Amino acid sequence: MEKGGGRDGTPISVEELDRLRQIAEKARKNVIKMLFYDQTIHVGSSLSSIEILTTLIFKYIRNDSTIVNKDWLILSKGHAAPALYALLAEKGYIKEEELWRIQDVAGLLQGHPEVFIPGVDMSTGSLGQGLSFGIGVATGIKMSGGNGRVYVIMGDGEQDEGEVWEAMTHAVVRNLDNLIAFVEMNKFQLDGSTDEIKPKNYLPKVWEEVGWKVLNCDGHDFISISNALEEAFKANKPVVIFANTLRGKGFAQIENTKKQRSSPDDARKYLLDA
Amino acid sequence: MMQGNIYSMRETFGRLLLKLGEEDKDLIVITADVGDSTRAAYFKEKFVDRYFNVGISEQDMVNFAAGLSAVGKKPMVVEFAMFLLRAWEQIRNTIGRMNLNVKIVVTHSGYSDHGDGSSHQALEDIALMRVIPNMRVIVPADPKDVERSLPVIIKEKGPIYYRLGRDYSPPVTVNNEYEFKIGKAYVLRDGTDLTIVGAGVVLWDALKAAEELEKLGISTAVINLFSIKPIDENTIEYYARKTGRVITIEEHSIYGGVGSAVAEVLVRRYPVPMRFIGATTFGRSARSQRDLLDYYNINYKSIIREAIDLLK
Repeated sequence: MEKGGGRDGTPISVEELDRLRQIAEKARKNVIKMLFYDQTIHVGSSLSSIEILTTLIFKYIRNDSTIVNKDWLILSKGHAAPALYALLAEKGYIKEEELWRIQDVAGLLQGHPEVFIPGVDMSTGSLGQGLSFGIGVATGIKMSGGNGRVYVIMGDGEQDEGEVWEAMTHAVVRNLDNLIAFVEMNKFQLDGSTDEIKPKNYLPKVWEEVGWKVLNCDGHDFISISNALEEAFKANKPVVIFANTLRGKGFAQIENTKKQRSSPDDARKYLLDA
Repeated sequence: MMQGNIYSMRETFGRLLLKLGEEDKDLIVITADVGDSTRAAYFKEKFVDRYFNVGISEQDMVNFAAGLSAVGKKPMVVEFAMFLLRAWEQIRNTIGRMNLNVKIVVTHSGYSDHGDGSSHQALEDIALMRVIPNMRVIVPADPKDVERSLPVIIKEKGPIYYRLGRDYSPPVTVNNEYEFKIGKAYVLRDGTDLTIVGAGVVLWDALKAAEELEKLGISTAVINLFSIKPIDENTIEYYARKTGRVITIEEHSIYGGVGSAVAEVLVRRYPVPMRFIGATTFGRSARSQRDLLDYYNINYKSIIREAIDLLK
């Protein structure tokens, strides 16, 4: 495995780093604040995805009015929807007030992403489906001569799904150099730690053997994430970035545990202290 | 389309697909390693860049097609009816939920893969596809119906499930003049005492039964329920009112299929006594599809029996 997340040749300025940090911290607070309004949202998985989503949405994703020249963001681990929504609100696609109506029956924001929500490129929520869709999009872009890139974010637990393995071999056959997948290694799945349920430590080797360019990064470090992405752009084949993350990152009550949720009291304490 | 003395659904489909590929440059054909068996591979002869075999990966195939349609392509997935079902959730959660322009063509439906036995015989697919919002379900009766409908299906936007058999497909609509329209049922034969509603190859049995019943003085209408969803409520109601009795026949489970769809209409609009002919068990191996239809009493003899019972 190549180290994509080193600190040499940083592609990011101090100002930009500050800006990304501010955006991510605001999004982190907003995800935790959403707990006040609905305690069933998946906070743990959302917090582990925030820096990756921030980097993609605020640094790399290029918008274009044509569907084959824009970049696509597919949140295959759809239960991290609150993180995506918090960042789409920062980006101005949705109003911040909408965040407080998450999962409200009359609200816009669903428990998992839906394409009728501005800024959402694929309706997800059932694990294992995003990579195949991304291969379809990336293939269609190439057939049309477009220059769009496709980013797919998956979880480590999600790698249990057979469809991921079907797609993994498929992407290599299509030679998709416009496809970048993240596998976020937060080391927990629904019922417990990935080590207990199905170990994931062999995954980078498998992806590499299959023919992907495999990189890794610290999924909470903007420089590491950016370095991995810059490296990925140079590859002439599909790239997967294994991102080490912590479930519940930054929220001590649940950090690095299998817990997805916390009480409004803990959330209040966090927000007052922060 | 004739091939020797056999009328074949998949042959007609494959050859027509090749022609339609000329007319629509965005049409993409995708299969999960059954290109030869489904005849989808004929498309490759001329359009190698628009033909994808994704390997034995049905779930990946469905979402791959979904992704292609999201960037404006017109993908058609072609698969055995049974093995597409392992991607039912992908069809539901991506294609259905996003209302994507993906055409799903299945061959080897019902008992048509007679030799391979119950693992290969899809008797549940109409029910499973019918419940997916945005999904339309189309079942041609014979190769002529395929010729009528495939060009229409390809032009239509949005998801469509298109159900074909394999080879066995006696000609039942060759003498009928109609244009295929989604949501329209076709009257193959008019009648006043009884209506048979069916879809697919079993319409041959429906027509045969109607001929036999005619000899007994029973006037029987036969309706080709080509479009199972959306369903032609008006035609079904009209014939229920006109004849007062309805028998449905399908090469599919009677739970959730053609019979259920017709009953759902009539119970709201004009309830009449009904009988349901179709599958209630898993299939088995046989030397021919005809043997299976007879073995499971999905044939004209059953229709005649039920008709006489209904008319008592």
